Amino acid sequence: MSIETHHGEAGEHTEATHIQLPAPTFWPMIFAFGITLLFAGLVTFWAVGVVGAIIAFRSAVGWWDNVIPHEEHEELPIDPAHRPAPILVEDRSVVRVQVGEQGHRMRIPIEVHPYSAGIVGGLIGGAAMAILACLYGLVTQHSIWYPVNLLAGVVVPGLGEASLQQLRQFNGLAFVAALIGHGILSALVGIVYAAIMPMFPKYAPLWAGILVPLFWSGLVATSLSILNPALNDRISWPWFVVCQLAFGLVGGYVIARSTNIQTMQSLPLAQRAALHFPTDDTKSER
Amino acid sequence: MASIDYPLERPDIEDTGWHFAENLYRWIATVDHKKLGLMYIVSALIFLCVAGVMAVVIRLQLAFPNGHVVDPDTYDRLFTMHGTTMVFLVGMPIVAGLSNYLVPLMIGARDMAFPRLNSFGFWIFLFGGLLLYYSYIGGSGLSGAGSAPDVGWFAYAPLTTKSFSRGHSVDYWALGVLVSGFGSIASAINVIATTISLRCPGMTLSKMPMFVWVMLVDAWLILIALPPLSAGQIMLLLDRYLGANFFNTQHGGSAVLWQHIFWIFGHPEVYILIFPAFAILSELVPIFSRKPLFGRPAMVGAVVAIGFISLGVWAHHMFAVGMTSWSNTFFAASSMLVGIPTGIKIFNWTATMYGGRIRLLTPMLFCCAFLLQFLVAGLTGIMLAVAPFDWQLHDSYFVVAHFHFTLAGGLVTALFGGFYYWYPKVAGRMYNETLAKWHFWLFIIGFNLTFIPLHFAGTLGMPRRIYTYAPGRGWEIWNQLASLGALMQAAAVTLFAWNVIYSAIKGEPAGDDPWDAWTLEWGTTSPPPEYNFEKLPVVRSSRPLWDLKHPNDPDWKYE
Repeated sequence: MSIETHHGEAGEHTEATHIQLPAPTFWPMIFAFGITLLFAGLVTFWAVGVVGAIIAFRSAVGWWDNVIPHEEHEELPIDPAHRPAPILVEDRSVVRVQVGEQGHRMRIPIEVHPYSAGIVGGLIGGAAMAILACLYGLVTQHSIWYPVNLLAGVVVPGLGEASLQQLRQFNGLAFVAALIGHGILSALVGIVYAAIMPMFPKYAPLWAGILVPLFWSGLVATSLSILNPALNDRISWPWFVVCQLAFGLVGGYVIARSTNIQTMQSLPLAQRAALHFPTDDTKSER
Repeated sequence: MASIDYPLERPDIEDTGWHFAENLYRWIATVDHKKLGLMYIVSALIFLCVAGVMAVVIRLQLAFPNGHVVDPDTYDRLFTMHGTTMVFLVGMPIVAGLSNYLVPLMIGARDMAFPRLNSFGFWIFLFGGLLLYYSYIGGSGLSGAGSAPDVGWFAYAPLTTKSFSRGHSVDYWALGVLVSGFGSIASAINVIATTISLRCPGMTLSKMPMFVWVMLVDAWLILIALPPLSAGQIMLLLDRYLGANFFNTQHGGSAVLWQHIFWIFGHPEVYILIFPAFAILSELVPIFSRKPLFGRPAMVGAVVAIGFISLGVWAHHMFAVGMTSWSNTFFAASSMLVGIPTGIKIFNWTATMYGGRIRLLTPMLFCCAFLLQFLVAGLTGIMLAVAPFDWQLHDSYFVVAHFHFTLAGGLVTALFGGFYYWYPKVAGRMYNETLAKWHFWLFIIGFNLTFIPLHFAGTLGMPRRIYTYAPGRGWEIWNQLASLGALMQAAAVTLFAWNVIYSAIKGEPAGDDPWDAWTLEWGTTSPPPEYNFEKLPVVRSSRPLWDLKHPNDPDWKYE
């Protein structure tokens, strides 16, 4: 029969008077009984096992006859008095939450700054930070290389024990190490800024420009003695905090000026995993 | 839309008289998935009562120091048969019973893919269980006094060798569990084939009810995990009958090999047993919160992930064996990993409830209790996954408390919720809500009174499986509280049984859809006819009845 006559909504009735189903049979039960006796023979008496094998064989033949060459069926009458009650239509509808729309507060960013803006902002903020650091070196030690050498002390061996005079002099290896380290770190922090700035609840410039640099300064203050003991001994914390603020304000400003891009965060997981694609109809409904 | 020209005044319960022989034949020879599902569940509940009585006797024995309620040999048999029965004759047939009854109805099919195999599966499970219990008569041979297995539900080697276990008690354990396992494998094959091949038109995998998804993964787990146990049991029988010596350490065998084989089955088995609880919650929580399931694709992903990960965690049961540090590290890490998808499920059920219009009827109360108790079980599970912690508390009552929080606080609690939820569909009548609430509170208070104290007893060093204990070790109060709780649980289960029987006779007619639910089983009569649906339904979303009830606001527009 065609699909129209076989299928319908749940509870829908058919014009047919009977429905075909597999016929009842006790052979599977007898077969199970025989198999159990067969195993029970191991723990009781061998003859029990033999009887079990005979029963299992006979019932297997019976089961076989039940399905070969044609599966046995029975015709079950449909009782019109026992049909499901009609499914009642409810007038009420529900308000469907549209993520990201006004009225439904999202805790995930719908839009973020591009990572490229984060890298650029990080590098420019890093440059502003470096300029202030060099200014600090010039004012207090009469050398712009002093902060560069201190920073390089994280990775360049021997700089930790260098004298004040050595720290004031240009060191090529230290310069390259400081430049690469500072550049990479600035770019990475810039990417983090780009990712997290849309998540700040309010006053993003305040967070990015002032509060985060202060938190970062606090974190560095607790760990610098392990990471760079030489810098820890000689650091000027007021200048350090000012440099961090310069990074936050300049980098944050550059990132904030970029054009936001849409994320997939507001889409269902199935869509994000490319398992489900909304049809045009559903798109227009939304 | 469904036809609306049916008579509204209609008898909900058929009353055609009782024809004993005809009905007996129709039940014994039936291949109908609903009858077989009910037979699985009723058999499992009878075994549950038997194993429950054993648990009460165990608790009475341990209630006071130097107890002598039963003798030591009987005690060993009691905890062995209690564990074996609960796992193989209660948990496994419940899985099969729920799948049998509900999966074809939920996917809009007339029956399982292999109805005769389905019948065979039930009967071989039942005969296997009866064979196991026949050990009480024939364990030492027909002429002996008889003894049931007494080697624990895991039957560790070399205790199972002929040298240490004479008579046939271990053979009965191996054969009974082996034979009933055939039924579980048959049922798993059937569920997989049915789900894959008999879904109604429109029901793609993404629109399949969450219950069916979980039971499908569960069936795969059974199919993968159970054969290693069967192989191990055949090896054990070869050891005992033909001197194969696989596990006989005195002849070059390995007792640790048995542990690996057993737990390769044994740990996935925990998930096999808890998955029906996940399936039940995934249906009940949305219905009683009046919200769709939160994060449905993530829930499917989580259950599949749990299925995979659970196959690689078995040796966390064996930290005390003395494995290498690398093995310990791997199995500790993998055991903790399983907490991630499990956490996703807990969070998603909670998120489904958040902001919903929650109806705190008995099924939902059991779901809430499940969430709290299963969380405790999960947390103590993470603790035990830390190898050094496990070394301290291995084989203590802390472990007993942990896995009872998982299986009784998790599975049994969710099952009660599921029973109450689907009872109107099965019986055509509503259960008594007052009795059900009494059952709920007695059970939950009794359960927690039993198993929270056992954490403390275990931490204080009380080993599991001990027959009795000397006074003055600080264990008395915890054991007395636990025993009191066990009695409360027994009373609760008695109330449940009374409610089931009483309501089947005197309960209010339930109608087809008393919960205003959304899956297909509620679109047919209560109880459903043998053919389930006159016309096989066509669905467009994961909530087909919602679509019919809200034609102006159907789900399929959004899925």
